[in-house]
Order: sequence, then C-alpha cells, then structure tokens
Amino acid sequence: MGRISFSLLTVLVLALNIVAFNVEATGEPVAVIVNKANPAESLSEAYIKKIYTNGVLSWPDGVPITIYDLSLQDRVRAAFSEKILGMSADRVAEEWAHLKITNHAKNPPYTMKSEALIIRRVASEKGAIGYVSYSAAKNSQDVRIVNTLQ
Amino acid sequence: MLQIFSIYDFIPVIFLKERALKKPGLRILTVILASCLLASAPSRVRAGDDRLDRLEKEVTGLKQENEDLKKRLGDLEADQEEIRNNVGLLSKYLDVSGYADVQYDLTDSRTDNSKFRVRHLSFFFSKDITKEWKLFSEVDFEDAPRFEADRNSGNLKKAQGTVFVEQVYVEYRPSFSLDARLGRFHTPFGIWSIYHFPPYVPFQTNPLFFENTFPEVSDGIQLRYSFSVKDMPLDTNVYVSNGGGNAGGTDGNASKAVGARVNLEVVPGASLGGSYYRDRDNLNILRSSYGAHLLLSYKALKLQGEYVIRENEISSGPKFRDNGLYAALTYDLGKWTFAARYDRCRCNALDEQVAGSSLFRYTGAVNYHFAHNVVGKVEYDRTVSPDRSLDENRAIFAIAVAVGDL
Repeated sequence: MGRISFSLLTVLVLALNIVAFNVEATGEPVAVIVNKANPAESLSEAYIKKIYTNGVLSWPDGVPITIYDLSLQDRVRAAFSEKILGMSADRVAEEWAHLKITNHAKNPPYTMKSEALIIRRVASEKGAIGYVSYSAAKNSQDVRIVNTLQ
Repeated sequence: MLQIFSIYDFIPVIFLKERALKKPGLRILTVILASCLLASAPSRVRAGDDRLDRLEKEVTGLKQENEDLKKRLGDLEADQEEIRNNVGLLSKYLDVSGYADVQYDLTDSRTDNSKFRVRHLSFFFSKDITKEWKLFSEVDFEDAPRFEADRNSGNLKKAQGTVFVEQVYVEYRPSFSLDARLGRFHTPFGIWSIYHFPPYVPFQTNPLFFENTFPEVSDGIQLRYSFSVKDMPLDTNVYVSNGGGNAGGTDGNASKAVGARVNLEVVPGASLGGSYYRDRDNLNILRSSYGAHLLLSYKALKLQGEYVIRENEISSGPKFRDNGLYAALTYDLGKWTFAARYDRCRCNALDEQVAGSSLFRYTGAVNYHFAHNVVGKVEYDRTVSPDRSLDENRAIFAIAVAVGDL
C-alpha cells in the first residue's frame, strides 16, 4: 500500500512538473510598446529585432530610440529574447556585455526591474520602446502596443 | 459537575451529567442560569454584529492603507531603479568593471612547459562626464605582475608579468551614430582585434595573424560613423595614429599611420567588411595591411572568418608579404558552446616561423556557461610548423569571469 501511494505521489509530482513546465513554456503574450506620441501604429518582428540589435538607432522622424529591457531573470524577457532575437536571454546578455566591455555598444538597452517601470519610462519618453506582458500593457492609457508576440 | 460550552460566543450549551440532574437544587440553578444566558443572547448578537461591522471597516481601511503603501514603495523602488540605471541622469561615480581568466596549459612543446597561468586581470574604468563626453580606460595585468625594487638602491630587483594600459581615451559622442575617440584604442581592424575578450569568445588563443600584421593598439584619433545603406546598417571607422611600436611618448618617427574599417550588415546575422592599415615604421619599412572579414550567424550556428595581407616595402631591399587567415565555427547548445578553428599564417614576425612557409593551427574548444558572465573552457590546439621539431600539442583548461555591471 505504501509503495503504491509513493508511486502515485511520484506520478502526481511528475505530472505537476510537466504542467508547470508547459505553463512556463507557453506563458502569456508579450506586448511590445512605444510612446503614445510615436507615429508608428505597428512594428514588424524584424524591425523590432533591428532596433534591439542596434541595426536602427533612431525612428523615421529622427528621434533617437531608447531601448528598455526587463531583468535577466524575468520570464517575459526570456520569451521576448527567444521570439524576437532567436537566442536565450543569457546569450543576448553576453552579447551586450561583450559590446559594452569593448565600448562598442552604440545604443545599449536599459535594464528595468519591473514591467511597471518600463511602462512608466516608455510613457514619459517619446523615443522609447519596451516590452511587457500583454496583461500589464492592455489597460495602460499612456503607451501604445505595436506588436503582440504570442 | 456542570460543564458549559460556548460555541458561537453567544449560544450557551449546557451539558449536565446524568447524576447531577438528579439533585433538585442543582436542577433549579441550572434552569435559572440557562434562562439568564438565553435572555442575554439577542443583545450579545447585536453587539457582535456591531463589532463585526467595525472590524470589517477597519480591515477595509487597512487594505487601502496597504495598497497605498505598496504603491508608494513601488514608486520609491522605481525612482531608485532609475537612479541606478542612470536613466536621464549622469552617474556621480566612476564605473568599474572587468574580467579575469585563469588557466592550466598542458603542452608537449620543446620550448615551453606545462603550467598554471593567471592569464588576465583587466579593469575597465569609465566615466560619463557629460551626456556627450566620456572617459574610457582598460588596464590589463597579465601573468600576475610583480615589480619589486631594492630598498636602498631603488634598482629593480624583481620583475614579472605585464602591466598594460590597453585602452585610454576621451570620447565625444554627439549622437548614437557618431563618435570621436582621442587616446589609445584597439586598432579597428577586422573582428578579432575588437571583440576578443576571454569571457565572450570560445577560444583562449588568438589567431596567429593577430599582432603580427597590424598593431594591437593605436595611439591617435579615431572617428566612427554609422548609417544605413538601403536599410543595411553600415559602420565606418577612420583613424590616424603613431603607428606600431610607437606607443605613448616613444614615437620615434615623424610619419603617422592611417587606417579605416567598414562593416556592412547585409541582413540581420550576416555581416561582411574590409580593413586597411598603412604605417612606415621605425625601421623605415612601409607596411600596408588589407583585411576582409565575414560573420554569419544562423540560430545557434556562427561562422567567423578573417583574411589579412600585409605588404612590406623596404627602401633598400626586396618587398615581402605576410598573410594570414582563420575560420571559426561555433555552435551553441543550451549552456554549451562547441567551437572549431582553422588558422594559418605566413607572418615573418612569428617566432615559430620559418621564412617563406606557413604555420598552421587547428583548434577545438568546448565552453560551458555557468552563468552569462562565468564560462569554463577546454581547448585543444595543434600547431604544425614547417620545422616539425617545433610542432606542438597544447590543451588549455580555463575559467573566465566578467565582473561589474556590464
């Protein structure tokens, strides 16, 4: 009886782990946001990648771009890095570190601790771009969602 | 004998034991007591309701206070975060960061032996003086330097290792696209000369042509301008410097070196470019280096290659040419990086070089990324020389870490 209980418990724990993993893997959509005054209504994933890799340094109207990132441990950043940059967040951080250490980063992103802070910064700077979870951005009146990454 | 239990604070329940109920005095006392308690119950219920209302209000108030405090705390954290990130502000402090790597070399070389090495301890100091002006420097300590003078005479008693001011410049950056650097900087030539720091490259050894076809650092002025050509980002660098071997105040000739580099990102993940460097050195040899580089990355796979030719013109003798190339393939798999490099150089400055022949090196490396700034490396190098007695097998076991808020 004890063995059967233990086996059932093991199966249950494994099942919970699988469920937890799937939840983490899928997650909720990521919203890419810009300032309300930014004329861009939507941005393609390729263009967002260009911005986040410094391929583009200013908006079409000449306003310099300010890039915001979440902290390295954040799950939203992990999803964004995989979907947009095609790399793990750790590898992206390494690339930036290499550019910064050589002082060759043209426009490195600012890392923010919370989504609320990113929304606050994007809302107050015309050239800013950031990303947060969709639920955090959908009701914000101060920023515009330009892409939703599923 | 009599036990009274209160369940909901105002409903008394009386349990009498069988023997106790048989006594008339006790029976009367019980009935009176029960009546009193029952009579007082409605008022106790009302009082309880009031208390509950008050408590509910207090709890609601506390919840609101808690929400306000959370918001204020969030704002405070946000302010601190902004200060920490210097968003829109200039830091009052000098930023210090750096890296270190230690390794064990296992070799069968006739001219070298196996050993532990404290390879690098490098510090980067940078300071944003204003929004446009910045000071950047890198001081490198190689092989754990120690310099000791005799107390009485002041003569150098012991000297080991290297202390090297690898970079120090004042930078003026009016926009993201343009900057000027005045001082000492890494010679902008190809890829490896700029991006070679041990925590961020899979190899511990430099390509053979590095430092043998152009100087590692240049003292002078450099301009960078970045712009787009048909949506393709193009980076350009031009510079004027003292030239190789003429660092700091030791410039021994009147001529100045000139150089340029371009890098075009054709599509995201595919870059190519060229470099040029020209210098008349202290031996009156005019050295002209031409380089081409390529960087392709697709998902976890990356290919990096460079080719350099250096023409050497001596006024009283025949011209001679150095050349070198390498191609490196890396593959990232989770926390692992697997890398292989083919390297060839016909460089007259190389110690192992036999005139007119090429030196080859084949490298394989495995990296494990413990964290984004800690990496463990195992590397195997096979160097093949025209003089086979100089052939070498070397295994390197290294740990490289980067420190500071990079």
